[in-house]
This record gives sequence, structure tokens and C-alpha cells, in this order.
Amino acid sequence: MAILLDENTKVIVQGITGKQGTFHARSMIDYGTKVVAGVTPGKGGQEHLGVPVFDSVKEAVEATQATASVIFIPAKFAYGAALEAIDAGIKLMTVITEGVPVKDTARIRQRALENDVLMVGPNCPGLITPGASKIGIIPGEICHKGEVGIVSRSGTLTYEIIQNLSINGFGQSTCVGLGGDPIKGIGFNECLRWFEDDPQTKSIVLVGEIGGTGEQEAADLVKTDISKHVFGFIAGQTAPPGKQMGHAGAIVHGKSGTAKEKMRILSEAGITTVRTPGEIAGKMKEIM
Amino acid sequence: MLYEIEGKQLFKENGIPVPKFKAYSGKESIQAFVEELGSDVFMAKAQALSGGRGKAGLIKKVTASEAEEYIQSILGRDHRGKPVELVMLEQPVEITNEFYLSVLLDNESGQYLILASPRGGVDIEEVAEKYPDEIFRQHFSVYIEPLPYMFIDLGKKLGFETHTLTSFTNIMTNMFKMAQNKDLTLIEINPLILTKDNQIIAADSKVVIDANAYYRHPDIANLKSQIDRLTDLEYEAEQAGISYVQLDGDIGIISGGAGLSMATCDLLQFYGSSPANFLDVGGGADETKIEKSLEMLSTHDVKGIFINFFAGITRCDDVANGIINASKKFEIKVPMVIRLVGTNDEEGIQILEKNGINAYNKMEPAAKRIVELVKGGN
Repeated sequence: MAILLDENTKVIVQGITGKQGTFHARSMIDYGTKVVAGVTPGKGGQEHLGVPVFDSVKEAVEATQATASVIFIPAKFAYGAALEAIDAGIKLMTVITEGVPVKDTARIRQRALENDVLMVGPNCPGLITPGASKIGIIPGEICHKGEVGIVSRSGTLTYEIIQNLSINGFGQSTCVGLGGDPIKGIGFNECLRWFEDDPQTKSIVLVGEIGGTGEQEAADLVKTDISKHVFGFIAGQTAPPGKQMGHAGAIVHGKSGTAKEKMRILSEAGITTVRTPGEIAGKMKEIM
Repeated sequence: MLYEIEGKQLFKENGIPVPKFKAYSGKESIQAFVEELGSDVFMAKAQALSGGRGKAGLIKKVTASEAEEYIQSILGRDHRGKPVELVMLEQPVEITNEFYLSVLLDNESGQYLILASPRGGVDIEEVAEKYPDEIFRQHFSVYIEPLPYMFIDLGKKLGFETHTLTSFTNIMTNMFKMAQNKDLTLIEINPLILTKDNQIIAADSKVVIDANAYYRHPDIANLKSQIDRLTDLEYEAEQAGISYVQLDGDIGIISGGAGLSMATCDLLQFYGSSPANFLDVGGGADETKIEKSLEMLSTHDVKGIFINFFAGITRCDDVANGIINASKKFEIKVPMVIRLVGTNDEEGIQILEKNGINAYNKMEPAAKRIVELVKGGN
């Protein structure tokens, strides 16, 4: 067991013939992900990376019964690609694309909610169930199968933490990169609940950032509904207030959005907080 | 954020009434403006992207004879790190009542949210604290087509009636449509004014556009505010697709991904130094972005450079090639420490080693090392 995906999940790659799509679809296939089809309008009927290419997601789903899709489509066209996936009956949709206008994201999110589609992202690295399957761009070689569930707003910082845990003998059940945009699909709380219910997951690592209120809501949930041990790290301790740090989501608004304040709230909820990403493994050795 | 005057121009074009106004940069004839307004008293408002203009003395009601001197006194004055370059002259309005009104794309609900209060003209956060019952909130689907009837209840709660109610629902509709059509994440009017002759007028504007949607709105993307909101270096970076924020520490950083870039800044502080900047080359950065980043840091006064990549969508061979290209073109006089892991890291490290550069594979020892080097260790 793990959450969201396993070795049987059938995945479609939207934008498979593009540069990023090709590179990461290949890496997904090499990792063992069941990539059953690619979609590039106008290129239907071709084969790419040994996978059939279709003109539309609908055709790809009809031919392969895929339930998951990953989107490597430029920001201008991500809205259309995501709605297409939802309309075609995809149930797990991961949007890797960075720079999607926030109104488009909000609209995709609403359609996804109405159609019971789990949306991950946008502007995210995707997810991986080590040893089974990955959707997106998390480097597979740094992950080991194990018992730690990871949920993060960051991409590269998540890799950092995964690798550090792997080296120290803490494998992962599933790692989910939620994405750094202010409006996004699934959040901390959905993942915390799934990890709580997943027998393979024994502890959870939550990686947050300055800005937004997701970490505070997660802290509230942990207090009442999560029995597994949670470790937390918040990036952006040196960020000056009012400045946007890369992610549209990572901007400090007043006291509540600062890293320091978030760390305090997590600690109060019984979450073990660390000052550097490298400290998580050490704390885990002490506690688990 | 837009300058007030830019926001008001958008209001005017989109059916939200505003007082008569004119931009003034210190060279035009005030007399012409006085004649156009038909009034010899008006508001002079410094245009700035930070709040607190009133308290800083940058907004004043002046007579035509005082105007010149006052305007010259505020032009060029520093307001929170930026000089005032533009002044708006505006017809004064006679106020009967002041309201607060905003439309925002709400991050928490993922929906549009209207906030309104009959207590306008003051800090809305204070109102929220002292009179929570007097702030009205209404959520709307992001797919909604706004129509006047949807805002009748809200208008009544605010105290509008008969023909002011119709004006209000029209203004609210136009404001909502403007937010949708222009990809604005916030339109705030504080205060919205009811004048003595029962007109509803926006006396201020706070408008924020989603930078991800610039490509749809080149008219807004090219406004002065959108250039002025960044320092020169930040603007240069943005043009190159790099996200750069000037900080006031010693060590320049180059990293990929906002989270890791922030954590890299944090780590320098943890080891006793401080970041000179935040720099995120973004996902899938190519050689030229790395080269550009190093160019920016090498021409800037940093005491050391820390390059920290955990590559996912970015490729380490691209990062390495960018570093080599840059070090051939620009003289890098300060210590530099590189940490490189992730996609294609073996290729990347080989490229660096061929050029006599070693790379770390862990970020903590690498961060420690650059701090030592900058502090004069060996």
C-alpha cells in the first residue's frame, strides 16, 4: 500500500512529444510507471518512446483505460489540457506546468472538484511511490521504498529531504509535491488524512513555506485527527516580509505567514520541527 | 500592484466612476489643469507602490497657488525605498459616506470573494478586528458571469437604496468583470464614496495583476508600475525568466526551485553568514539562465557565491555548462562553492572536473564551506 498511485496505475502523458514531456516520460517509463499512452494533438497514430500517441485524451483513455494523467504543456495551454483530462474521465491529474495564470488554475480546480478528480499542482514536481511508480519529475533514484510519507509545497527542497532520509535508512511510502502556487489542487490536509489511513506509512514529513495558511490548517488537523508522528520544516526563514520569493505562493503577509510563526504553530500542534532539512533524519532516529 | 492613477484609468475604461484626474510629473502647466477641472482646489497625491502615503505627507489638498510648491517638494522624495516620480492631481469630492469594497481571487477557497463594509476610509484590518459584523463577505464561483441582481442584497446591507442601489450594483458588476477579464487578483476601493449629490465614486484604487497572465494583457504588463515594482537587477532577472530578490547579506546564491532557494538562504544564516540575494532559476533552466545568473552576481558586490542545485526538471549538465561559460566570460573574483545533484549529475560533475572545479553532493557541508571561505578560512 501507499497513497494515490501504485504499480498498476495507468498513466497518460499530455505533451509527450515535447522536450520536457519526452525527457520525463522516458524517466517515468524507466522507473516502472505504467505509461500507457501519450497525447499530442496532430500527432495521433505515431509511436513515441514505445508508447502510442493519440490526438486527444478521450481517445487515449478509450484505448487504454488510463485513470491518471500528467501534464507537460506550456502555461498558455495548460487550462485546455487540464479541462480535456477532466472531461475524458481522468481521476488523478498532475499539472507540472509552471506559470499558469491563477484564474485558470482556480477554474481547473473547480472543475476537478465537481468531477471528483484529484488534481495535483500546478507548478509541482508530482508524486512518487518508491519501488512502484512515479508521476512527474521527482528523480526516482533518490527514493527508497519505506514507511515515511512526505507531503511538500516545494519541488527541489523535497528531493533534498527525500535523499537525506534515504541515505539515513528512512524509505518513503509516497512523496507528494503539492506545488508552490497560491491556488492549487490537493493540499496538506488531504495527504495527511490519506497517510493516516495508509498502513504502510508510519510517520509523515510536512515541508512548508512562507505565505499562505496551509500549514496552519495542517497543524489544526494534526492536533485532532492524525495519530502518526509528523515532522515539519518551513523554508523562508530569511525572507523579508512583503517580498515574493519565487513561488507566487511564497510571500509573507504579516505575522501569520512568516516561517518563524509557522514553525511555532506546527510545534504547538505536536509536530517535531527542524531548523535545516538535514536535521529531519536525525530527529527521526531519536523518535521513531 | 498598479499605481493608483493606473488603476483609476482602468476603472474609467471599465465603467467604475472616478473623480477627474490627471498625471503630473512636475513639468506641465498647473494652470491648464485648473482650467480643465474648473476648480482651484484639488488633491495632490504622490504615486507610490507602498501604502502609508497619507501618514508620510504625500497626499494633500492644495489650492492652485500652493500646488506647484507642494508638488515640487514631494517629487523625488523617498517613500519606503523608492523615489516619488509621479503625482496625480485630482478633483476633490464632497463626501457623505465612505465604504470599503474589494473583489479578490481568494487563495483559501479558490473562488472570487467580495468584501464590503460601510466603514470605509480606514484600515480595513482594524475594522475586521473591531467591527467584525460590519464586514460582509460573499463567495462566487470562478466561472460566474456577474450580473447586477447578484449584488442587490449586498448593496442593501451597505445602506444603498433607490437609484444609488442601482449605481452600486452596476459598479459592483463592472468591477467583478474587470477582475475576471484583466486577470486581476485584487481590486480594492477604499474608500468608495457616496457624494453629496448621490453619486458613487471610487476615491482610491488598489489593483493587483497576476504576473502569470501578463501575456494576455500587454497593456497592463507594460505600465510604469510593473517596471517600478522591481529593482533594476530584479527587472533584468525577470526579463531573463529568473526570479531574483535583493537581500542585504554577504553570499550570493544561485539555486533552482523556490523552496530550495529559500532553504539555501536559510542555511547560510544557520551557519553564521547571510544571503545577498534569493535567486531561483526556475524549473528546466538552461545554460543561458545559469550564465545570466552568474553574470548578475559577478557584477554585484557579493563576498562569495554558493550554487546549490538538486536538479529535477533542470539538468546538471546544463548547470555545469552554464557555470563554465560564465567563468570564461566574466571574472569571478570571489570564492565559489558548487553543490550539484539530481538529473544528469554525473555528466554535470564531469564537465566541472574537466575544468578543474569540484562539486559537493551534499548541501550542508557545501554551505558550511562557503561560509568559511567568505569569513577568510582556508
